[in-house]
Amino acid sequence: MTLHLVSKSPFSSSALCDCIKCFAEGDVLLLIEDGVYALRHGALQKLQNSAIYCLEADAKARGQQELTAIVSGVTMIDDAGWVKLCTQNTPIVSWFR
Amino acid sequence: MGNKTLTICRAAPYGSALAREGLEAILAAAAMGQEVDLLFLGDGVFQLLDNQSPEGIQQKSLHRNLQALPMFGPEQLYVCASSLSERGINPKQIKIPGIDIKVIEKPGALIASYQCVLNF
Amino acid sequence: MKFSLAVYSAPHSSQSAASALRFAKALLAEGHEIYRVFFYCDGIQIGNNIAAPPQDESNLAREWQALQREYKLDLVICIAAAQRRGVLSQREAERLERPSANLAEGFELAGLGQLTDAVANSERLVTFGS
Repeated sequence: MTLHLVSKSPFSSSALCDCIKCFAEGDVLLLIEDGVYALRHGALQKLQNSAIYCLEADAKARGQQELTAIVSGVTMIDDAGWVKLCTQNTPIVSWFR
Repeated sequence: MGNKTLTICRAAPYGSALAREGLEAILAAAAMGQEVDLLFLGDGVFQLLDNQSPEGIQQKSLHRNLQALPMFGPEQLYVCASSLSERGINPKQIKIPGIDIKVIEKPGALIASYQCVLNF
Repeated sequence: MKFSLAVYSAPHSSQSAASALRFAKALLAEGHEIYRVFFYCDGIQIGNNIAAPPQDESNLAREWQALQREYKLDLVICIAAAQRRGVLSQREAERLERPSANLAEGFELAGLGQLTDAVANSERLVTFGS
């Protein structure tokens, strides 16, 4: 299934909302860069039952590591985990604007 | 050559170079005989409006470049239905000669059917 | 697994350019193959050897060059995007009658066909956008 990489804040970009519009059952979401601010955005609730990951280094850099995400079950991963998600899923779609 | 790929076009024309450079990549792939499918989504649907006149901003018409698509292979493109309705665009307003426009409700299912996706 | 990367973001402008390098390093550390890195749009600025970032900041171009030497990476810069934005090889500078060349070592200029080829020959494509 599709791996969606969201790298922009949902407060300033349609990246997350467009991604959600294109989310099929079984798809996986990975939040990177400013995309980690999605942890604070209500739109994420639409993916309540989906696999959601977040790059820990990007979250930590922004002081978001202690945040309890608006949805439960967000998994923090490192770069090796990012690589693994990319090997496990296809295609990989980047939502960068 | 290789697998069929999907290119997702989300950029509005003219404001940034992304829409144009994306289209150049698509035309290059098609010219090489690669099978390319296209999905227009979000602000990318603005590329499809047929009354673009960018002469006044010293740019070339992107819509005219889109019209080159059938010469290189692609004869259809997918457009996200909700992206159109959110922007108040009637599907009848988007016309490209020689291209069959397919308005789809569930872009996620389409995307998931490809191995490689290009994003612009 | 065979990966290709498409990088559209300029170094020192957005985190995305650094993310691409970080991801490439992680791929190689995990034993995967990088078929090609294709720099497009503003991403072509990576090949500008006149850029001089401060000593205490990361130097993305230098790090890509080190990876290129170690793993013989194919680092391709889109020639059309580079001409528009001013990254030229010696040959291009002469052909276009520009005053100087500035293409950094380890990178090569080539056409968009190299992106198409990368997509066709890789199992995964990861895009690092603006």
